[in-house]
Amino acid sequence: MNEENISFQFNGKEYLAKSGQTILDAAREQDVFIPGICYHPNLGTIQTCDTCYVNVNGEMVRSCATKVENGMTVDTISDPVKDAQNEAISRILKNHELYCTVCDNNNGNCTIHNTVELMQVEHQKYPFQAKPYPPDNSHPLYRYEPDQCILCGRCVEACQDLQVNETLTIDWSREAPRVIWDNDVPIDQSSCVSCGHCVSVCPCNALMEKSMLGNAGFLTGIPPKVLGPMIDLTKEVEPGYMEIFAISEMEASMRKARIKRTKTVCTYCGVGCSFEVWTKDREILKIQTHTEAPVNGISTCVKGKWGWDFVNSEDRLTKPLIRQGDEFVEASWEEALQLIASKLTTIKEEHGAHSIGYIASSKCSNEENYLFQKFARAIMGSNNVDNCSRYCQSPATAGLMRTVGLGGDSGTIEDIMTSELVIVIGANPAESHPVLATRIKRSHKLHGQKLIVADIRGHELAERADFRIHPKPGTDLIWLNAITKFIIDQGWEDRTFLNNRVNGVEVYVQSLEKFTLSYAEEKSGLAKEDLIKLATMIHEAKSVCALWAMGVTQHMGATDTSTAISNLLLVTGNYGRPGTGAYPLRGHNNVQGACDFGTMPAWMPGYEAVQDPEVRARYEKAWGVSLPEEPGMDNHHMVEGMDKGKLKALYLFGEDMSLVDANSNHVDSAFEKLDFFVVQDIFFSKTAQFADVILPAAPSLEKDGTFTNTERRIQRFHKVFEPLGESKPDWLIFQELANLLGANWSYEHPSEIMAEAASLAPLFAGVSYDLLEGWNSQVWPVRDNGEGTPLLYKERFAFPDGKAKLVPVDWTPPFDPGKEFDLHLNNGRLLEHFHEGNLTYRSEGLTHKVPHPWLEVSLELAKERNLQDGSLVRLTSPYGHVEVRTIVTERVKEMELYLTMNTREDIEAVNRLTSSYHDTLTHTPAYKEMSVKMEVLEVEGESPLPKHNHRFGNRVPQISVKVEDKWMRDDFIPIEEMHELRGDEYGEGHHAN
Amino acid sequence: MARAITQIRQNVLSAEEQQTLATSELLEELAENKEAIIAAIGVIKSLNNLKILDTIQAAVEKSEDIGVIAMQQMNQPTMHNVIKNGISAFKFLGSLQPGQMETLMEAAGHGLKKMSRTGEKGEKQSIWRLRMRIWTPEIRAAMTTMVDFMQGMGEVFLRNNKQSK
Repeated sequence: MNEENISFQFNGKEYLAKSGQTILDAAREQDVFIPGICYHPNLGTIQTCDTCYVNVNGEMVRSCATKVENGMTVDTISDPVKDAQNEAISRILKNHELYCTVCDNNNGNCTIHNTVELMQVEHQKYPFQAKPYPPDNSHPLYRYEPDQCILCGRCVEACQDLQVNETLTIDWSREAPRVIWDNDVPIDQSSCVSCGHCVSVCPCNALMEKSMLGNAGFLTGIPPKVLGPMIDLTKEVEPGYMEIFAISEMEASMRKARIKRTKTVCTYCGVGCSFEVWTKDREILKIQTHTEAPVNGISTCVKGKWGWDFVNSEDRLTKPLIRQGDEFVEASWEEALQLIASKLTTIKEEHGAHSIGYIASSKCSNEENYLFQKFARAIMGSNNVDNCSRYCQSPATAGLMRTVGLGGDSGTIEDIMTSELVIVIGANPAESHPVLATRIKRSHKLHGQKLIVADIRGHELAERADFRIHPKPGTDLIWLNAITKFIIDQGWEDRTFLNNRVNGVEVYVQSLEKFTLSYAEEKSGLAKEDLIKLATMIHEAKSVCALWAMGVTQHMGATDTSTAISNLLLVTGNYGRPGTGAYPLRGHNNVQGACDFGTMPAWMPGYEAVQDPEVRARYEKAWGVSLPEEPGMDNHHMVEGMDKGKLKALYLFGEDMSLVDANSNHVDSAFEKLDFFVVQDIFFSKTAQFADVILPAAPSLEKDGTFTNTERRIQRFHKVFEPLGESKPDWLIFQELANLLGANWSYEHPSEIMAEAASLAPLFAGVSYDLLEGWNSQVWPVRDNGEGTPLLYKERFAFPDGKAKLVPVDWTPPFDPGKEFDLHLNNGRLLEHFHEGNLTYRSEGLTHKVPHPWLEVSLELAKERNLQDGSLVRLTSPYGHVEVRTIVTERVKEMELYLTMNTREDIEAVNRLTSSYHDTLTHTPAYKEMSVKMEVLEVEGESPLPKHNHRFGNRVPQISVKVEDKWMRDDFIPIEEMHELRGDEYGEGHHAN
Repeated sequence: MARAITQIRQNVLSAEEQQTLATSELLEELAENKEAIIAAIGVIKSLNNLKILDTIQAAVEKSEDIGVIAMQQMNQPTMHNVIKNGISAFKFLGSLQPGQMETLMEAAGHGLKKMSRTGEKGEKQSIWRLRMRIWTPEIRAAMTTMVDFMQGMGEVFLRNNKQSK
C-alpha cells in the first residue's frame, strides 16, 4: 500500500481507494454498484436523493458524502441497506412518473430509469403525486415540467456552482417544493443565460430541450388525448417495473438506429468545447454533453448548446455563383473552378505571384488552413497568406514569442482553475469565452481563488472580482509596468527564477525607471494605493495566471502591452508551474490552429520562419517545388495593396472581412479595386457581395477535421451531415482548384493532410487521428510518441538557451481623433451572438433573446443628454457614422460607450466608425481606440434589448441546493431513523440467479 | 472595379422541370429495383382485393380517434384484470421448474390413470383398508407433497396479508 492508496472492504472483499475519495467514487471506479441519482462527477456531492446509503462500521451513511478511510468496512448489499435505498428511491418515484417508453428521455442514458432498473425496484411504495404547478414553457429553447422533477438539485448545483449564473434554486419552504428561476418568475424572464447546464445534468425529463419533445421516441409524438390514458393503463396493469423496462429498453435501442450521435467541437469561441450532436436525418435533436469532454465536461454556453440551426438554413449557399454584370448567376463547379484557375494564372503571369492575396479562416480546420497555405506557397508561389488572428490575437502571440518563445497559452484551463490569483485584463470571458469563465467563477466562489479585473467596463467578471480597476482607456502598459517596478523596488521579485531562467534582467529593470507610481497615477487615473494593492495581491499569491484579450490587443501599443504582461509574470516567477502563466484568450474556434498550421505571411506550419533556408528546404523536398523566400503580405498590407493597385486578386474563405475589419468603408472601397475576387463561404456574406466568384463551402458539421483551442489542444470533429446541396468541404475545394493548376493532390481524407503536416512540422510530430479518437485530444508541442505538453516551460523556455527574455517596452499613446469627438467608443462581442450574427441569427431562440445590437450609455451621460432605453442616436467618427438605439446601464461609466457588434447592417456596424490605425508591430487594427460624437435622433423608442433578456434578471446566489432546508422540513424523516423499514424478504424476488 | 451587388439569379426549375426531374429519379429507382417492386405490387394487389388496404387507410386516417376509443376500452377494470391475469399466468408458468413440472405432470397422469381404473371397476374399499394404504410409501409421498404445497400457499397468504396491512 502506498501513501495514495487506502485499503478498505466492500462487502467483505478488500479494495483500494485513493486518498480523499468518497465511498461512492471508489465504488463506481471499481464496479461495485451503489445507486446514486443526485451525484454527478462534474458536480460532486449534493445529498438530496439518499439512494446511496450504505452501512459503514455499523452506521448508515450517504456514500457520496463519506470519504473512504483506512480499514473501513462498507456494506452495500445487506437487507437494511437495501431497505434504506429502496425507501429513498420510493420517495423519488413519488415525484416522477415512470412512463419510459413514451418519454423523450428514454435514450439509454436516463439516470432514473437506469438506477431503478439496477436496483431491481418492483413497485412504487408511495403513489405518484403530481405537483400543483403547470409546466413552464416560456423559454424558447427548453422547458421545465415540475411533475417529473425529483428535486435532486443537480440543475441548481450546476447553475449555482458550475456555471455560476446563480439563477436556479429549490424553494424548500413551500408545501410542494419545486425549482424556481430568480424569485419565481417564468424562465424566459429570469437571469437564465440559456447555457443549458441544467438541462444537460437533469437525471430525467423534467428539464428538456424543446427540440427533443415529441421528437426523440417512436411513441413520444402520441397526442396527449391518447398518451394520458396510455400512461394510466400502463400504471394500472404493470406487474412490476422490470417488465416495463424490458419494453422501454427495446424502444431505446430502436432509437439508436434512428438517432445518430456524432462528436463535434464547438465553433463559437476558442475554448474548444466538445459534445455530441444528436440528429435524426438532417434535424438536430439536441447537443448532448459528456463528462469525458476534456475542456468543458458537461458545460456549454447558449451558442454551443442551441446555435446550430444555421446549418439547415434556407439561406445557405448551395451552388457556385459567378458575377455577370450586376448579378450573380448560378454555375457548375467545373465552370467556377475553371474560371478561378484561368484568372489566377493570368494575373500571376501578368503581375507576378505577389499580386495575389490569400485570406484564410480561423473558423475552418487545421487541415484546411494547412492546405490553403500549401496552395498559396507551393502552387501559387506566394507568402501573401494570413488569417483573422491579425484582427485579434497577433499582438499577444508576438508578445509571448519575444518573451517566452511560443505564441500560445502557457498552460491549460486546469491551471486557470487551480491558480490562486487570476488577473483578467481587457477581456470579457463571461460573454466571449463563457465556459472558461465558468471555471474561474467556480474557483472564485467555492475554492477561494482571488480575481482581479482590469477593464473599463463593468462586465460580469468585473462585478464578481475581489478587486476591480478601471484605468483610462489604452493605459494598461503603464500600470502593468508600474506595478512590476514597484514589485522589484520592494524586493518582491522571484530572484532565483530571474537568475536561473531569464535573460535581459538588468536592462529591463533600467527601462522601468520612468514608470513610477506617480507617473502611472497621472496617466492611467488609478490611485497609488490601488496600484500598491494590485502589486501586493500578486506578491502574496503563490500562483498567478494572467488572461487577456481584445481590450489589450486591439490597440496601437498592443504587442508591447502583451509583452508587459509577460514581463510581469516573469519577474514574479509565474511561468512553468501548475496554476501559472499567460493566457491570451483566442476568440475563434481555430484562430490558434490557423496560425499553428501556417496561414501567416512569415511562418510555415509550427512557427518556423519562411526565411529559414533549412525549413524551406524541408518543405521544398516534400512538396517538390521551390518556395518564396521573403515573408508575404498580412491582412493589413493586403488592404493597402488593393487600395494602391498592387494587389490584383484575392482569394478569401470563411471570413467576413467587410464587416469585421476596421474602417470598413476603406476596406470595401479596396475590394472594389480588385481585378478578381474569390469568396468561399457558407452564406452570402457582406464580403461576398464584392466577389467575382462565390464558392459554397460546408460548415464543421458537414466535414471531418481538427481544431486547436486556446489551450493548444487539438481535437477531432466528425461529419454529422452530408454537405448541403452542392456545397463542399473547404479542403476539397482547395484540392480541386490546385489540381486544375497542376498540383496532382490526392488527399482522400483530412487525416492524410494532418499526417503530412505532422511529418513536416516538428511541433506536431506525434499528432495523429488515431490518437484523437473519441474524447481524446493532444496538446502541442506533441512529441513523436504522441505525448503532448499541457504545461509549457516547466524546465526551459522556447529559446535556444532555454531562458526567457525580459523585453523593455514603452507606452504608445492611443489614437485621439480630436476634441470634437468627446465620447470614448468601446466595442465587442456579446454572449448570445457570434460576431455579426451571420450564424446565430438563424436560430429563432437566440434571436428572441437578442434581436438587435445596442449602445450602452452611462447613467451620467443619459442624464446629461436626455437618453433612455430605446433612444436612437447617431454616432460619428472621422471614418463614418452609425445609428443605434441605447441602453442605459451602470456597466459603462461617464463618457465611455459600448457598442455591441451583432449586426449585419452597415448603418449599425461598429467598424463603420473604427480607423485603420494599428499595432505598430503586428498591424492588428486599433479597434478599441476611437472616440465619437453623438447626436440624439429620437429620445423615445423601443428598447433594443427585450425585457426577457438575462441582463434584466435578478440572480439569487447561494451555495449548492441548500439541502439542509430540505432536512429541516417537518415532513422529512431521515432515512437512517426510519424504524419501519421493510423486512428481509423485500426486494429479494427478482434476482436473475 | 466590382461594386457590391446582392442580386442572385437562381436557376429555378419550372414546375414541369421539377416534375420531369422527379419522374426520372423515380424511374431510375424503379428500374434498379425491378424485382422487389413487382413483388411488392403483387402483395399490394392481394391486400387490395381483400379490402385490407381500405381498412388500413381508414384506420390510419382516424388513428387519433381510434386510439382514444381503444384506450377507453382498454382502460376498464375488467380489461385491467384480463391483462393482469394474463401477465400473472405467464409469470406463474415462468416460475415453474421444468424438471419438477415433469415429475408432477407424470405423477398426475399416473394418478389419473389409477383413478379412472378405480372408477371403472367401481370397487368399494373398507375404511380399514384405506387406513392401511395410508401407510404405503406411495400415499405418504403424495400426502407429504400435498401438505408442503398447502404450507407454501399459506406462507404467501400470510405474507400478502401482512403487506397489504
